[in-house]
Amino acid sequence: MSRSFTPDIGVLRRAPWQQWFLLVAVLGPLVIYPLSRLVLLSLSGPHGLTLQVYAQFFHNPETRGVIACTLAVLGLSATLASLLGVTLAALLFFRPFPGAGLLTRFLELFVAFPSFLVAFALIFLYGSQGAVSIGLQQLLHLQNPPLDFLFGIGGVVLAEVVFYAPFVVRPTLASFAMLDLRLVEAAQSLGASRWRVARKVVLPLAWPGIAAGTLLCFLLTLNEFGILLVLGSARLITLPVAIYSAATVDLDLPTAAAGAVVMLAMSLSLYALYRRVNQRHQRGAR
Amino acid sequence: MDRLSTLPIKQLPASRRWARIAGASLTLCAALVGIWLFVLPVAVVALSSVAAHWSGTLLPDGLSLHWFERLDGSDFAALATSLEIGVGVALAGTALGVWLALALEGHERRGLGAVIDTIAMMPNGVPSVVLGLAVLIAYHKPPVDLSSSALIVILVQLALVLPFCYRTAASALRPELTILREAAQSLGAPPAMVLARVVLPQMLPAIRASLALGFALSLGELGATLTVYPPGFATVPIVVIGQVERGYYLPASALSLLLLLASLAALLAIAARERRPRPQR
Repeated sequence: MSRSFTPDIGVLRRAPWQQWFLLVAVLGPLVIYPLSRLVLLSLSGPHGLTLQVYAQFFHNPETRGVIACTLAVLGLSATLASLLGVTLAALLFFRPFPGAGLLTRFLELFVAFPSFLVAFALIFLYGSQGAVSIGLQQLLHLQNPPLDFLFGIGGVVLAEVVFYAPFVVRPTLASFAMLDLRLVEAAQSLGASRWRVARKVVLPLAWPGIAAGTLLCFLLTLNEFGILLVLGSARLITLPVAIYSAATVDLDLPTAAAGAVVMLAMSLSLYALYRRVNQRHQRGAR
Repeated sequence: MDRLSTLPIKQLPASRRWARIAGASLTLCAALVGIWLFVLPVAVVALSSVAAHWSGTLLPDGLSLHWFERLDGSDFAALATSLEIGVGVALAGTALGVWLALALEGHERRGLGAVIDTIAMMPNGVPSVVLGLAVLIAYHKPPVDLSSSALIVILVQLALVLPFCYRTAASALRPELTILREAAQSLGAPPAMVLARVVLPQMLPAIRASLALGFALSLGELGATLTVYPPGFATVPIVVIGQVERGYYLPASALSLLLLLASLAALLAIAARERRPRPQR
């Protein structure tokens, strides 16, 4: 890297005081202090530090159910979203159809679309009085609207798949773009079928990018809140909703803090894994 | 590509012809599924906001603007709050992001720099509700009591937006641009002049992207804001969620559409100028 030969210059001199200032005066109040207070509160009892809140938390069969439910929703949604995202990216890249460029641009903009609005839009489409439900009713001449799955695990998974698949499309497209297409052509000209080319050439080469995108998808899905609140809060208690209602409805901050620390541990370990994979992937790309 | 795929379809052997037709229809189906899944929800929000009535029918009963006309003072107050907080968060996030990027340039892999980089990026991996709860616990009573000011909302959104702003700014500091800075320096330009005349103009596309991204993310933020917001500082997402939970779907659509238009305007402002690929999250 040529970076190491760069001399320090004037205003940009990376004086250590500047880094210390950023750490203490900027990141301190923004990130470090709040998270430390959160962990501290979850550990504090009437007499000093205790693990009592956690003991209660994990002892309660209800919270174990909540964690299992959160993980089930995560596994289902993120797996489906990743499969859909990779398939869609492969299609956009290898079999571009008219308007594929437009759809790609749209998926990029989708990233700025708030997730709770996706959940909300799905009510108009797949709710029991929604357009798809009524359409099916009219088409099949049914007595009642046929769809009634939205406010529960089905709707949550559908909304999360719709919202998070585009997050997989972008990194996957980027790693397809770095493929050496001559290898694909060579395999094809040697008589390999499409399926074989995809499995034996494209997938292994693009794998680091796909893995990073999939991990990102799992992380974002785990951290999702709006969709769970709109479609899941009635029948499906997941950890983020439980933390939120413990803090703002029951005003029980210590219990909320214990739940939040459990959640923090899960998402930060996933995040650390993502950063590792992504850094290796990007270093490999250079 | 193989030679057969460039031939007109009539000259292909029959088996290949069928394979091609099957492939094309598969592509078409997949394209339709993509549009159905991703384009339709966005279109539905827009359509429902101008629907006179839409429940139990395939399409809206008629079009009207009366949901926009019926937006009242509290809706506009929420819109104003959202826009003010969004501008504040975008400006502060971009300033801090640029500063972090400059202070850590070339040092983000080792020692103190690596620690700062990790902590600045950490909110990316923290669920928004958890960060909201942490900020609420830290700042809801003395010594630092922000529980009745908009500052607590700005603070929590700033933490959430900072990783994106920092990444965007850092991706603009490419080695080939460093040469220009060194040249200006070696020609005797004072540090303030290097910053104002060389560094900031170089980073202008990134600064613009960071402002738009910060603004759009702040406008749509729900989890953390809902956890910390003091009475009187409800943002648009909070009002929309309240209306959805009470079943007032069409007013909620009208308000969401205004929110979407605001963030779309910000994003288009950069998309029109920026030609380079956008930075990775």
